[in-house]
Amino acid sequence: MNYPRPTPALAIHDLRKSYGDLHALRGVTFCLERGERLAFLGPNGAGKTTLIRCLAGLTRADHGEIHLGGKPLKSVEARKHLGFVPQEIALYRDLTTRQNMVAFGRFYGLRRSELRNRLDWALQWTGLGERADDLVGTFSGGMQRRVNLACGVMHAPQILLLDEPTVGVDPQSRQRIFTMLDELSESGTSILLTTHHLDEAEERSDRIVILDQGQVVADGSIEALVKQSVGTQRWVRLRIDRPLTAPLRVGAAADAALIGTTGEDRISTRIDDVSTHLPGLIELVRRRGYGIVDVQVEAPSLHHVFLHLTGYELRD
Amino acid sequence: MILTVMQISCRRLLHNRVELLLTFIVPIAFFSIFAVIFGGGLGRGTTPKIKVVTVDEVDSVVSRLIMSALKKQESLRFVREEESSQLSRSEAQELVRNGTATMAIVLCKEADQLAAQLLADASDQVASQVVSAVVNRSIMLSEAEYQVSQLGVSDASESGDQQNIAATNVGNDPDAEMLGIEESLSRKVEIVDVMGEGKANPVVSMYASGIAVMFLLFGATGGGGALLEERENQTLDRLLSTQMSMDQLLLGKWFYMTAVGVLQVGVMFLWAQLVFNVDLVGHLDGFLMMTVVTALAASGFGLFLATLCKTRGQLNGLSVILILTMSALGGSMVPRYLMSDQLQQYGLWTFNAWALDGYTKVFWRELPVDALAPQLAVLLFSGVAFLLAARTLAVRWESD
Repeated sequence: MNYPRPTPALAIHDLRKSYGDLHALRGVTFCLERGERLAFLGPNGAGKTTLIRCLAGLTRADHGEIHLGGKPLKSVEARKHLGFVPQEIALYRDLTTRQNMVAFGRFYGLRRSELRNRLDWALQWTGLGERADDLVGTFSGGMQRRVNLACGVMHAPQILLLDEPTVGVDPQSRQRIFTMLDELSESGTSILLTTHHLDEAEERSDRIVILDQGQVVADGSIEALVKQSVGTQRWVRLRIDRPLTAPLRVGAAADAALIGTTGEDRISTRIDDVSTHLPGLIELVRRRGYGIVDVQVEAPSLHHVFLHLTGYELRD
Repeated sequence: MILTVMQISCRRLLHNRVELLLTFIVPIAFFSIFAVIFGGGLGRGTTPKIKVVTVDEVDSVVSRLIMSALKKQESLRFVREEESSQLSRSEAQELVRNGTATMAIVLCKEADQLAAQLLADASDQVASQVVSAVVNRSIMLSEAEYQVSQLGVSDASESGDQQNIAATNVGNDPDAEMLGIEESLSRKVEIVDVMGEGKANPVVSMYASGIAVMFLLFGATGGGGALLEERENQTLDRLLSTQMSMDQLLLGKWFYMTAVGVLQVGVMFLWAQLVFNVDLVGHLDGFLMMTVVTALAASGFGLFLATLCKTRGQLNGLSVILILTMSALGGSMVPRYLMSDQLQQYGLWTFNAWALDGYTKVFWRELPVDALAPQLAVLLFSGVAFLLAARTLAVRWESD
């Protein structure tokens, strides 16, 4: 029996936006499923901010469609389900935590008991119940980030847009913020976040979209992206006890390859299977009379995928 | 080290165009504006004219000569000239009270002697002195002319001493005796304050309103600056991503800034009542009307400037220049009656002038509130127009 595919929480189709001769978005298309955590990556100037602004209704696209829960973004009904947390601490620093939360709750249309309930939830969620009546301006960067986040979800949105939610905070605060986001995700909120922390994206998202020069250049899970772009081979780095006198020949005569560089005490190569190929490589090095000081095995990561797809050139 | 600190500071200054502007250009610009306004650049040759009405209760040859001499005075502007012959003293006094004229010159008889009473609006302290001198001179000249004509001298002015001529002929002319020209001139011209009588401290209310309007404008641009601050730290983006529209945001700020402005001016006048005996409670209706519309206009102006500028630095520079210029032209710093006619006309393009005229009607002239209609209409229209302009400019922030 075939079940109809559920409507995605967010669907973007052929989104285009130009500023004069600068094409910020060149036909961006992707979906965000309900409850999914999607990390949006890209080098500086890739078009991430423009896309986030389009999704938040702050920038009008030249072309294309955005649907929230199957409804066009422009409809008031659709926008009720959208939460937006900008990169800056966009709060009233001379108001207390509670006053900020109440204000943004009202801006999102909450009233009376609903507002009170969400306020209680937000204070508990951020762990700032005891600082509810302190001025936000007196908080540390991490605490301000948490309030910043809470003010964007006072209305329990189905979709949350986060622009660099952990920029400038310490590891403990980052951990706390992602724990909060995990809770939101578990409760069914779809999360789209932009970040420059590739490890965050790798660890905390279900899917990655990489944008470069206004176009989506990769879209999928980490595993899929690795397989599609850099492959699943592991990088092996050996440090030996003295510089190589000549490169080492590896493999059968027909497809032998040379590894290492004369005069260097490090050897790097890629292997398909660690369990079978690494012992062979170590044995080969030893047979040539070199002692092994250190061995590093590195699985391909989002970092490799990102650089592979977007290149090594600086963009700004 | 010290040299490095100086170098860094200097380089930062050179890189900051707004600070450069405020440091070097704004003072020059502001000085130039004031020099143009008060140094004769604007309205040069149009010395301030004092608006007067005349009442001739004597209707004699001499009084007609005096009236004729007065009308030749360049420092006076006769209002309701066509009605002057029919004006009564009370009507003239009413014209002074409602501000149509600054002074009424009434020629009358006191103990069978010709006298002049100047029904004055004491708020214009210069006018009293000027008109008094002008009337004295006209009386002297006219009496001399009359005496000379009685003696058959064709050109009295050639004598060079009219007072002596008049005095030497008093004993020969019974008409002259009746006219009382032997009396000292200071007794002939009497200044009667028809506005300030019975008021505890009337002039203070005018200064209070002048300062209040200027600070309303500063407060309003400060409020507008909050909008730019919200834009700079992305709070504006965040607000616009909620269910709130730009219309609601601007209206909310407009009403808030107006409420704060009303409170600000209210507190100031309350202080003026407590310390300087300004009768606020007795003029509460007119005061509230004027304060609300002035605050509405100032708030609209503040929002307009904020949406016009890109940064708070720009707003600060622009608002300082505009507000101080408007305050100078509009009478918040120097009473407008001291300015030339042309400059007074320019002043009508400022909030300050309309607001101060309104407050003057309330506290000084004590006119009924319906007399405030022109001021209320202009200020309200300005406020709405500036708000609409701000709304139009804010479109660029909504969706780029």
